[in-house]
Amino acid sequence: MSASERLAQIVFHDDGFLFDPSSGESFVANPTAVEILHGLQEGRSEAAIIADLTSRFQVGDEEARRDVAEFLARLKTLQLS
Amino acid sequence: MIRRNDFVVGVSGINAADNPGPGTGVARSLLEDTTLGARVVGLAYDALEPGIYMDWLFERSFTLPYPSGGGEEFVDRLLEIQATHGLDLIVPNLDVELPLYIKYADELASHGIQTFLPTMRQFRLRGKDKLPEVAETLGIDVPTTRIVMSDEALVEACGEIGFPLVVKGAYYLAYTAHTLAEARGHFHAIAAQWGYPVIVQQLVRGEELNLVGVGDGRGGSLGSVAMKKVSITSLGKVWAAVTLKNPLLATAAERFVAGTKWRGPYELECIFDPEQQRLYLIEINPRFPAWSYFATGVGVNLPGRMLRHAMGLPLEEAAAYDAGRFFMRYTYEMVTDMNRFQDVVMRGATL
Repeated sequence: MSASERLAQIVFHDDGFLFDPSSGESFVANPTAVEILHGLQEGRSEAAIIADLTSRFQVGDEEARRDVAEFLARLKTLQLS
Repeated sequence: MIRRNDFVVGVSGINAADNPGPGTGVARSLLEDTTLGARVVGLAYDALEPGIYMDWLFERSFTLPYPSGGGEEFVDRLLEIQATHGLDLIVPNLDVELPLYIKYADELASHGIQTFLPTMRQFRLRGKDKLPEVAETLGIDVPTTRIVMSDEALVEACGEIGFPLVVKGAYYLAYTAHTLAEARGHFHAIAAQWGYPVIVQQLVRGEELNLVGVGDGRGGSLGSVAMKKVSITSLGKVWAAVTLKNPLLATAAERFVAGTKWRGPYELECIFDPEQQRLYLIEINPRFPAWSYFATGVGVNLPGRMLRHAMGLPLEEAAAYDAGRFFMRYTYEMVTDMNRFQDVVMRGATL
């Protein structure tokens, strides 16, 4: 199973609780991370996700860009990206 | 001929203690298949096995001689139970008694006591020394494993595998060792309690995933459920768990029952490395595991399905289960009269 397939099957809950049904692992994500993960699962581009964050969380473009970059790096270490 | 709704099933492994046997979960599953109508009796080796006191599961319990005492005495005791109470089927749940039940399966059947067990050849396949061979046919990996019978062989195996590693008994116990001194301590403790051989195995990092299933003996599956241990006791026994659906594990289970034509219950113990997407086979247990009721709780009653298949009763397709169902053990206290203990000590059976 590829990292993107694994990411696609992760079950999201609105409170930020995430469950990977192939490994049984669970994760807790903050609202920013949930927004980014939703965007990735929907196949949105990085730029579109950054735009979503700036409008939803009232943060600047630079801060949103940094959050997305850090989170993508984190996903890579978890083999989810 | 066994009549539906009027048969007695003997279930062993009713030691629901800190190292729990599978028997109480198996009995609970059988009773929850209400149209099966089985009556369940406990088969114990000690008057302090908690199942003896769980009269809502076991209508009666009987003690048996230890399997190490030899087959004739063992079979005689089962026939005595059959004569005094009735005994149509047995679901043995302890590793150490399985060779005896497999050896005497035909003799028991000739007296009207059925079992649904792997053959001796299949049983040997699950030996820890056979794991690399089996894992290859399942298309999964196996940690480097060495069988050791002496201190010299232990030192050599530790040198080859490197630390940390796991020292295991052939049937029970597994300890992690970080040094040769630790490995030696575990080696001698396991050998003293369970004898040889002792297994030395590479420690693989990842999530421990287990699967319980039942093979129909013709290469087909009567169902399976996989879970991840979320928390374990100091003895390594599951305390909390979550169901999952792992394609690698599901495929390995299908290949296992198809390739071996496995007959009866089994458990695959694996380590899954999600980063490398690799699955390692750690152990095959030729029986129901202690957590079998989890499968029943999510809709896949494997003990019930196995008995239905063994008795030729109607059997629907195994229900699908959801990933993310949670299992939690708890402790419970029973208060009862001393006479239950007295009856088992003095007469070898509850009244």
